[in-house]
Amino acid sequence: MEAAGSAPGTEVLGADPAALTRRYRQARDAVIDAPDLAAAQRRSALTDLTDRWVRDLFGAAATPGIAVVAVGGYGRRELVPGSDLDILLVHDGSRPDDAVAAVADGLFYPLWDSKVPLDHSVRSLDEAARVAGDDYKVALGLLDARHVAGDPIVSRAIAERVTADWRRRAPKRLPELREAVRARAERSGELAYLIEPDLVESYGGLRDTIVLRAVTASWVADRPHSAAIEESRGWLLTVRDALHRTTRRRSDRLLLQEQDEVADLLGLLDADALLRRVSEAGRAIAHASDVTWRSVDRALTARSRRPRLRRKPTRRPLAEGVVEHEREVVFAREADIADDAGLAMRASAAAAQAGLPLAVSTLERLVAETPDLPVPWPASVREDFVRLLGAGADSVGVWEDLEAAGMVVRWLPDWERIRHRPQRTPVHRHTVDRHSIEAVAEAAALTRRVDRPDLLLVAALLHDIGKGWPGDHSSTGAVIAQTLAARMGFDDDDVETLSELVRFHLLLPTVATSRDLDDPATVAMVADLVGTTDRLDLLAALTEADARAAGPTAWTPWRASLVRDLVTRVRGHLAGHRPQGERPSTVEPWARTLAASGAFDVMVSAPDLDHVAKVTVVAPDRVGLLAAVAGVLTLHRLEVRGASVDTVSDSAVQVWRTVSQYGAPPDDHVLRQDLRRALDGSLDVAAKLRRRAGDQRRPATRTAPPRVSLVPEASQTATVLQVRAHDEPGLLHTIASVVASAGVQVRSALVDTLGADVVDVFYLTDSQQRPLPDDVAEALRDQVSEAIGSRA
Amino acid sequence: MKLVTAVIKPFKLDDVRSALESFGVHGMTVSEASGYGRQKGHTEVYRGAEYTVDLVPKVRLEVLLDDADVDDVVEVIVKTSQTGRIGDGKVWVAPIDTVVRVRTGERGIDAL
Repeated sequence: MEAAGSAPGTEVLGADPAALTRRYRQARDAVIDAPDLAAAQRRSALTDLTDRWVRDLFGAAATPGIAVVAVGGYGRRELVPGSDLDILLVHDGSRPDDAVAAVADGLFYPLWDSKVPLDHSVRSLDEAARVAGDDYKVALGLLDARHVAGDPIVSRAIAERVTADWRRRAPKRLPELREAVRARAERSGELAYLIEPDLVESYGGLRDTIVLRAVTASWVADRPHSAAIEESRGWLLTVRDALHRTTRRRSDRLLLQEQDEVADLLGLLDADALLRRVSEAGRAIAHASDVTWRSVDRALTARSRRPRLRRKPTRRPLAEGVVEHEREVVFAREADIADDAGLAMRASAAAAQAGLPLAVSTLERLVAETPDLPVPWPASVREDFVRLLGAGADSVGVWEDLEAAGMVVRWLPDWERIRHRPQRTPVHRHTVDRHSIEAVAEAAALTRRVDRPDLLLVAALLHDIGKGWPGDHSSTGAVIAQTLAARMGFDDDDVETLSELVRFHLLLPTVATSRDLDDPATVAMVADLVGTTDRLDLLAALTEADARAAGPTAWTPWRASLVRDLVTRVRGHLAGHRPQGERPSTVEPWARTLAASGAFDVMVSAPDLDHVAKVTVVAPDRVGLLAAVAGVLTLHRLEVRGASVDTVSDSAVQVWRTVSQYGAPPDDHVLRQDLRRALDGSLDVAAKLRRRAGDQRRPATRTAPPRVSLVPEASQTATVLQVRAHDEPGLLHTIASVVASAGVQVRSALVDTLGADVVDVFYLTDSQQRPLPDDVAEALRDQVSEAIGSRA
Repeated sequence: MKLVTAVIKPFKLDDVRSALESFGVHGMTVSEASGYGRQKGHTEVYRGAEYTVDLVPKVRLEVLLDDADVDDVVEVIVKTSQTGRIGDGKVWVAPIDTVVRVRTGERGIDAL
């Protein structure tokens, strides 16, 4: 302390700064290049070296009331070769400004001259606290503050003050921080699913572990599973260390070209092994982060609610045994978890369709307590599975949660082979599993283009399932898809279609870009392989979903136009021999007899094992009958899964497959009575439905817009109207009402609910049993389209 | 030195590439392109399905060559990519002042 007491500005350092810096640089290079040093040891060795150097430089200038504090990564003792030195010189305000300036110059000039990347600031306690209060990034860095040199009382003061402020202001800061996390995830993607992830910035990366600490430090939420997080964090730091040593640069993005060398440095088999472990770490951190943010949301909402406004949390039913509670999906109290095999899938589908996450505790019980699905799956489970897949972007989050919990592998054992599987091509940006579910989300937007949305969604999920095995993934995948589709309980035809879709999922783009489309042989070859226009439509939609999910380079307008051209030509070729004709009537003899007698009756069968109750309506046919029945069923909260409508003499025979939303289906006589009242006008079905729709919140999912079209030449004797739309209560009533108000008769109809989508076909005639004139048919099409569109 | 640019039908790319390889041309730049020529897009009727094509997808291929090789290479490209139908494409040749290989800094013929 020879300089103590001398005039400001004349304080000198105890040793030659240049010599100290030389010594530091040599020691640092030696540590970075030491081959047998474990990454954790290197981090702590680098930190120790740096601490000593900073202390030596500061040494003689030391004065009471001034301290050197390491913040950020340096504060956490996590220096890697490319790290910035984040240093704050903090003083308590008791020293004159020029004395502080002199100390700062003495410390920072040598640091600066050493060319080690430096992030430095000089602040009083008050200033530091204020800046931390204004900028959450500064606050985050200061939460990791560590005393390095100088007056330890000052260091402790700043650390305590920043932490206390952080806690006090958490309700305001945390939403801001969350928004920043979201924006970063949007920008940098998710660590677990990227082929070239950023170890720090990607969601689930090192930055999120720091954010998690900050959230925990606020005392708003607990830190989840800290051992797993620490392990993942340690591994990412180790990879980062190896990356910096490989590239000699500061970038934290793990590029394809460097992955082999980094893997080698870490003693791993190859880049795939490296990426798989990075994925796992990223997934663990992202999951912890999701859970933590959700509990932050809940805690903050609970706090902000004023006591007088506090309501009992409502439990809104979503499906049998499944309710919404505080913006999460949980089991209903009466749910039969241990025995209801379909419950897990039903809850997952309900969550995806409502755009809500499954609660963590529900997810845990789902995995631990629900029984295994019977094989093949019952129809209701398969339909729920399709609903889970059909929610577009909202499917992805629910799927990832189920996947992380191990539920997906229980459902689809073959999924294991593509979990976290990296793929090394410039086309793809995601791992195979994530690419598959992204393709499903893309496919959900294309469901209106195909007759079988369910097959499209399942094919999108399985199209790359062969990538876990050696050989050509399309042919391997076709075999696996066959097994899985049979397991899901699809019938033989559908199993084959799914298998063929997987086998040929690269056919269209390959042929479009490498074969002569003007050559009829090319078109004939594709037509032969594809077989029918239905499959062609499915394959075209699958191709587009696959390419859009792969990355921006896979579906350029150029590529799209080539594929579209091919599809148009093949469709033209197939149209030449498309089977056409009326659909056969499926009315059972007893119903036929009843109809012939002109009776009016409604019969409800007991629900089968899939909870499906059959409602048969026999009634004299009249305009508006279909709308009335559809409306009454909806009023009784019966979900329509399918229906067939036929005309026998002057009576209509309608067979409805329905599922009760809660409880047992209503009795025959109740339905009969309501239907009579609806037909004679004493029950205003439309008004009641409108009122109920007002009570219910709209589903949060964004779905593809409905598509209403006329199918020319499908029938000689009727006009055929086809509607493809997202299923909603009352949809059929809306369509049928429009048809009825146009005075048009429904001769027969086929209604099919495929997961979350409906495909309805109506055979319409005028009062003389003839097809509608073109202009009437087109006007009706537009009216139906408008009526459905205005619901959404 | 010359720059040979060819705009051809996409499915002909593989043929042209292997023909050029066997001729001894080992580097080229390929890009996705679309456009139209004299036919100004066209309406096609195919098995009853009528559709119009405005911009036709093509592949654009660029090769840098020594003057002596130009005629042969153009001939190879034209021969290989010919189908005899409308829309086979075009090939053109432009003079080049200089070429630099980025890695080594070599210039002119050495950089090819």
